[in-house]
Amino acid sequence: MSHKSSRREFVKRSAATVLGAIVLPHIIPSTAMGMGGKLPPSDRVVMGAIGVGSQGKSNMRDFIKLKDQVQFVAICDVDTVHQAEGKALADKANNNSDCRLYGDYREFLEKEKLDAVCIALPDHWHGIIYSAAANKKLDVYGEKPICRTINDGKAIVSTVKKNNIIWQTGSWQRSQVNFRHAAELVMNGRIGKIKSIEVGLPDGNRGIGTPPIMEVPKELNWEMWLGPALKVPYRGIAHYEWRWTLDYSGGQLTDWAGHHIDIANWGAGLDKTGPIEISGEGVYPREGLYNVPIEYDFLCKYANGIEMRVDNKSRIVHGSGATWYGEKGWINVDRGKSSASDPKILQEEIGENEIHLYKSDNHWQNFVDCVRSRKETIAPIEVAYRAISVALLGEIAMTTGQKIQWDPQKQEIIGNPMASRLLSRPYRQPWTLPTI
Amino acid sequence: MKKQFLFLLLIAVLLTFSGSSFGAPKYKALIITGQNNHNWKASNSILKQLLDQTGLFTTDINITPAKGGDMNTFTPDFSKYNIVVLDYNGDSWSEKTKTAFLTFVKSGGGVVVYHAADNAFPEWKEYNQIIGLGGWGNRNEKSGPYVYYRGNEIVRDDTSKGAGGTHGARSEYLVKTRNFDHPITKGLPANWMHGNDELYSQLRGPAENMEILATSFSPAKEPNPPAGTTPAAAPRGKSRVGRDEPVLMTLKYGKGRIFHTVLGHADEGGGPAMQCVGFIVTFQRGAEWAASGNVTQPVPVDFPNGAGVSLRPDFKEITLDEDMAKIVSYDIGKSTKYYTDLQSRIRKVSANAPELLKLEKLMVAVLKNKEATAEARKLMLRELSWMGSDYCVPAIKGLTKDAAVKDEVDFALTRLKAKK
Repeated sequence: MSHKSSRREFVKRSAATVLGAIVLPHIIPSTAMGMGGKLPPSDRVVMGAIGVGSQGKSNMRDFIKLKDQVQFVAICDVDTVHQAEGKALADKANNNSDCRLYGDYREFLEKEKLDAVCIALPDHWHGIIYSAAANKKLDVYGEKPICRTINDGKAIVSTVKKNNIIWQTGSWQRSQVNFRHAAELVMNGRIGKIKSIEVGLPDGNRGIGTPPIMEVPKELNWEMWLGPALKVPYRGIAHYEWRWTLDYSGGQLTDWAGHHIDIANWGAGLDKTGPIEISGEGVYPREGLYNVPIEYDFLCKYANGIEMRVDNKSRIVHGSGATWYGEKGWINVDRGKSSASDPKILQEEIGENEIHLYKSDNHWQNFVDCVRSRKETIAPIEVAYRAISVALLGEIAMTTGQKIQWDPQKQEIIGNPMASRLLSRPYRQPWTLPTI
Repeated sequence: MKKQFLFLLLIAVLLTFSGSSFGAPKYKALIITGQNNHNWKASNSILKQLLDQTGLFTTDINITPAKGGDMNTFTPDFSKYNIVVLDYNGDSWSEKTKTAFLTFVKSGGGVVVYHAADNAFPEWKEYNQIIGLGGWGNRNEKSGPYVYYRGNEIVRDDTSKGAGGTHGARSEYLVKTRNFDHPITKGLPANWMHGNDELYSQLRGPAENMEILATSFSPAKEPNPPAGTTPAAAPRGKSRVGRDEPVLMTLKYGKGRIFHTVLGHADEGGGPAMQCVGFIVTFQRGAEWAASGNVTQPVPVDFPNGAGVSLRPDFKEITLDEDMAKIVSYDIGKSTKYYTDLQSRIRKVSANAPELLKLEKLMVAVLKNKEATAEARKLMLRELSWMGSDYCVPAIKGLTKDAAVKDEVDFALTRLKAKK
């Protein structure tokens, strides 16, 4: 099957034509193109999407809002209803009916010639499909949390780095001004040296009991949905609701780690390292199919003396969001709001000679810009791995009830073979993690 | 061999009679009951059972004269006891008994105020200082402020006019722990479902030296729509108008410690409000705290949380043997609680190799049990995959040819890094 040539190939061919003598400026103002403000096809990022449930479609819409910078040409999903919904979005934006559909990511990756792919899947699939996409040298916009286990995460980070692709994590709070400003205030010492951090994440859901075994809907490929996870009968729990079952997710804790833990790490300068000691307790439902912790309270100690407490919001004073406690005061930041021990702190601007964090005002635009410029995005892979690894180590501490010692450089649990087993969830045959 | 058996038998007998404290109970408790607008005949023996089963208390019950009887004959010797549990809402006590009770509390005696005991004695000032908040009995703004939470803020100064004490229809309801550091509530979930009960609301009283340990949300009553009109649909979020009402409180009176629980409305045989593990455990922990200022009882594996109610129909904590027996016939469609109990037990001892091995042996016995369902074996394999020792490996390998659990056997052996 031959498809439209992608921008990447176009650039390669152009470069070959001019023998590398001329470096084309990457960003040409679209008004200069004489095309009524539209970018020429050669400058569009040709994309596909794997996983177009609620979050996948939401991402597609955000990319499509960037007008003609992005073109979705292919979609892969294990649910044919999702496929049709994704295709409708793409075809409407493209004003054609050409978007191609796949039910198996392997065929999708084999046949499509793309610049980039947007991936939004249940967490248990991330290790395999993120790695496979990176091995195809596709730039990836991938949903958080980037992995279900630490071992999956390590593999993804190394595959992304070795393939030298552009990676953006769906931790979009980084591209919001109130989060960036709060993190910059903290980083520039407005509340003094940071002593501790509290991260408040949502409380868990109520249970649903155990629904009966049901016939799999004809639109859903249940076997493929399960993939590397242990086989279980279908009980009506798949799309979205997978996040309440440990086989596929760690619950609100891991779902939200890529937001508020990520922001906490950003402001405290911890986003390239990890804790050295983790301990705490979880509260688990007694009855029913949902088995993720619905409450959690764990403490992470860092080598520099900072302590980070991660809790469901009902357990802590400031509730939801990231709260940094410094020697001179505190700042809390949450969606749409910030607060501080002294509200005046929040009005302060960051001076020219102070530390300025990576600035992005649109998370999806930032990805597209970086695909063009080949520069690092605002939410690169290792940073995402460091955010989710805090939650996954907390999960291990809560599962075992033990204090966990962690080596953030080697990324290994120290002196605890039993807890170390929880760094991975073995895949069901025949699935294996792709290697380079 | 015979000697060994006798020794074991002796141990078993000792364990049966000594409760968890391995010795004579430390504290003496007195339950006062005999008049109540509630079913005191059902509640008093259950409260005694709950106190005695902690192994911390020996409990007497003092039944007052019936309503209208000669209260001068009610003269308990409070000084013999560490705590007094009030399950009483009736005629006034004699002045002598009132004085003796106040002396008991002031000099360091503990009190547990149970459910409708906070309806009693609206006119007795010191009693209301002891209970902190009360309801009914014509209580109003003269009794003291309404005290409650609004969001995360405690409101202690609502002196608005109005009656003290009401409750809506009985229901299961969510209790929010407000103090995670108090000995009674330390280690409890932030949110837990309580069995079907009345939720007392709009209590009022002096509320001096009172700490609120837990609250529950009581929606405000909507005013009745004018006659002949249809009520408009409530706007989104409207039903959240109301107050988070105190359900567990502690107070100080003189040197005395008081634990006040509004939970536990008694039906014949106790009913779900008393069978609720949340009621039982907070009552037991509150009683110990009232007696000693500390709590030594661990939070049990069956404590409820935000996911749902947890009941003890026979008022006893589920044992490991019962959990394991149920796991053998495990069917996920029926109940998961025996398995999740086992997970909690594993968590508590996972760093203690000998204790963990005891659990592992029971789990391996399930793997080898021909009666065990495939579902039961799968669950054991999932757990053993991380907490198992070398002990479980041969049994897992023995299941390699069992098609029903093939994936789980692979899963466990891979994680245990055992050769297949």
